[in-house]
Amino acid sequence: MASINLDNVGKVYPGGTRAVEGVNIDIADGEFIVLVGPSGCGKSTLLRMVAGLEEITEGEVRIGDRVVNRVEPAERDIAMVFQNYALYPHMSVRKNLEYGLKNRGTSRAEIDRRVAEAAEILQIGPYLDRKPRALSGGQRQRVAMGRAIVREPAAFLFDEPLSNLDAKLRVAMRLEIKELQKRLRTTSLYVTHDQLEAMTLADRLVVLNGGRVEQIGTPLEVYRKPASAFVASFIGSPAMNLIPASAVPHLPGTGHAGLIGIRPEDLHPAPDGQIELKIDAVEELGATRLVHGKVGAEMVTVTMPSDAELPETLRLDVAPGAVHLFRKDGGARLT
Amino acid sequence: MIENRPFLNLLTHLVLILGVAIVALPVWVAFVASTHTATDFSSGTIPMWPGPHLVENYSRMLDSGLSTSGTPPVARMMLNSLIMAMAIAIGKIVISVLSAFAIVYFRFPLRNFAFWCIFVTLMLPVEVRIVPTFQVVAGLGLLNSYAGLSIPLIASATATFLFRQVFLTMPDELVEAARIDGAGPMKFFRDILLPLSRTNIAALFVILFIYGWNQYLWPLLITTDAQYYTIVAGIKRMADAVDGLPQWHLVMATAVMAMLPPVAVVIGMQRLFVKGLVETEK
Amino acid sequence: MKRTIFSNQLLPWLLLAPQLAITFIFFIWPAMQAVWQSFLREDAFGIRSTFVGLDNYARLWGSAEYMNSMQVTLIFSVSVTLLSMGFSLLLAVAVDRTLRSSRLYTTLLVWPYAVAPAVAGILWWFIFNPTIGILPYMLDQIGYDWNHISNPNQAMLLVVIASAWKQISYNFLFFVAGLQSIPASLREAAAIDGAGPVKRFFTITFPLLSPTTFFLMVVNIVYAMFETFAVIDSTTEGGPAQATNILVYKVYFDGFVGQNMGSSGAQSVILMLIVIVLTVIQFRWVEKKVAY
Repeated sequence: MASINLDNVGKVYPGGTRAVEGVNIDIADGEFIVLVGPSGCGKSTLLRMVAGLEEITEGEVRIGDRVVNRVEPAERDIAMVFQNYALYPHMSVRKNLEYGLKNRGTSRAEIDRRVAEAAEILQIGPYLDRKPRALSGGQRQRVAMGRAIVREPAAFLFDEPLSNLDAKLRVAMRLEIKELQKRLRTTSLYVTHDQLEAMTLADRLVVLNGGRVEQIGTPLEVYRKPASAFVASFIGSPAMNLIPASAVPHLPGTGHAGLIGIRPEDLHPAPDGQIELKIDAVEELGATRLVHGKVGAEMVTVTMPSDAELPETLRLDVAPGAVHLFRKDGGARLT
Repeated sequence: MIENRPFLNLLTHLVLILGVAIVALPVWVAFVASTHTATDFSSGTIPMWPGPHLVENYSRMLDSGLSTSGTPPVARMMLNSLIMAMAIAIGKIVISVLSAFAIVYFRFPLRNFAFWCIFVTLMLPVEVRIVPTFQVVAGLGLLNSYAGLSIPLIASATATFLFRQVFLTMPDELVEAARIDGAGPMKFFRDILLPLSRTNIAALFVILFIYGWNQYLWPLLITTDAQYYTIVAGIKRMADAVDGLPQWHLVMATAVMAMLPPVAVVIGMQRLFVKGLVETEK
Repeated sequence: MKRTIFSNQLLPWLLLAPQLAITFIFFIWPAMQAVWQSFLREDAFGIRSTFVGLDNYARLWGSAEYMNSMQVTLIFSVSVTLLSMGFSLLLAVAVDRTLRSSRLYTTLLVWPYAVAPAVAGILWWFIFNPTIGILPYMLDQIGYDWNHISNPNQAMLLVVIASAWKQISYNFLFFVAGLQSIPASLREAAAIDGAGPVKRFFTITFPLLSPTTFFLMVVNIVYAMFETFAVIDSTTEGGPAQATNILVYKVYFDGFVGQNMGSSGAQSVILMLIVIVLTVIQFRWVEKKVAY
């Protein structure tokens, strides 16, 4: 078990392309941190730098008290779960779990104890002598986790481990990973592009965009107080409405903001509402419905109960605390 | 797709049966000839059906050979061919798999230069540079030796390219997982890369064994000592000698025996053979 | 390109060492020797050699024998390629039509790949043997006189047949693979559009097969030019009257039998250039295939 510290970490590829810039993250012992962002935001590169699979070109990474910039992956005391699981296809499940321990010279008795324990935790005992190709996606996922667990490492690194599973299994495995991490209390760094997965798993979220950190915070902090227009649009589903302040001039308290953001669920029908929405389309979700339309020329989405009546234009109101204000240039949050 | 054209179906099978017959004709004629005696040919035409002298002709060639042509017994030549074919096939696989591993999994200065050096071998078939290559091998004192028969033929660009292709399609995550599991380059090579390339190695072995067995010009040139004659090159020496004194039945018996091992390999391992053939051309 | 690599610097050289050593000693060094020899001429006793520049090449250019060999090689390569590919394509299309028995036919058609070119030469030499061969006997019945030992055209025909026969299995396998990679839905669509089997072959199948056809064409020409040495040597030995003396055979003959190192070296260099051109064409094809 250990803390992980990233100190002004950056990555420039030999060709001059910059992937990551000035990242500072302090991860406490036992914490579950999720790196989230759109594809190409540098989240995987960052994880791979912690793992030792990518060279760290700027800054410092510490695991525990040790600077690991020049330490081989095998010496960093970490374990990694890959997107495609990366199980050795020619080895049985048991051999897959044992391989890393054998390379470390762990004693036979200790190997057997750890494999048995991991098999028990993950309920993969019955498959220990099968080859990976004879397993279902979910079972392979468990084996990949097992390979990480048996190592009893200082930290788990997860690189989009659930994205190859179907939607239903993904939700189930998400819960399992969360519970497992709570039980083992192993520091974890988890990469995903799925904001829902990020929200449900993380103790704290790190939202990345264009190789830089946009915001670090608990899921609720990030949701309630997005640090930038980017975070506001990325976290939450359906996405927050972002419109130029000029489109709603009579909204009070907007000051000199460039962009205002309102979550679809914060807009409510009101007979004397300030905002007039011309409805274009309606999506029924069952319990609720999404109403899409235009305010002026801007696309706006509203979440409404599905039994409400729908006229051609809706008058909407918004609670003063639910309006987010962002600067015009760069989109940083105001107040 | 439903297509009811009895005439076309009949024609298809007719074409195929005719094709198989044409393909098989020379071998059938050779086999028939190898079961007769020399006097059966002197009448002017050769028979179309096998005669009773199969065992006699074959055992004679295997044990003592055709002494008038200066060739050793066929058994000896087949052993030489086997040694050469195995040495070439195994040698090519070993040096190619090692160099492909170096080229794919390492970055080092002059890597492209090394790659092009290997590529050159693809462009220079032995027949094209035969005279100077012979001089080099003679200079090294490798004439009349198994080393001389095999080593100059084991550099292989094709095999290196094949393994490079195989390694490039292996997921990156496997190396990464192995590195996190504490495996160094050679451990990764032995524990993961080689086992995963098993079928490719086997398929390539089939192709290279045939290639080695069928070598002709090279063994013909560098062996003057009959103890090192290979069977494919030996037949030519027999055929030359028989022009005066027709011993066709014995030459054909030798030809059939020369074909047997590689043909057996192709038919017995058809699936691997087709895989090897198609992959080496990608 | 691999994302993750090992950082050792010495190890890759150790791994490459055997391959590079053999390549250098048996490929690059002899090739350089050939180039060097092509600029020299030895005296009558083979003791002294003098630098003659491009004179060996000029002599080849002016040599009727060498020009004849070029022409023979061209006729030979084109004939082998056309005969072998045509026959193989016919068989491949037929096998592609059969469902149940295609595996059996394939097995019966692939084995000539394993027969050594030298052995293939001997077999056909025997079948066409003017005194005891089966085919001359049959040809004689219909009044045709076969003697490839004295007739240049018949000698050429013999080596073409022997060389093409050996290559049938290879072409056949690639044509079958090519045919199988054409989506059945295309032929089905054509059938629904009312095209019969013959029309379908010429308007759909054959055009879609063209990458395979082109690839095989290059491979067959390379085969006919360089790998048929054994067929020639085990049968006609270049005769009669130079009628089957293809370029590779001439390099060998002038070098080993004629001991004319300068001329043989120049011929080697020319052949190497031809191989390089053909290899580049072949690799262009590979790149094109990747782009599909």
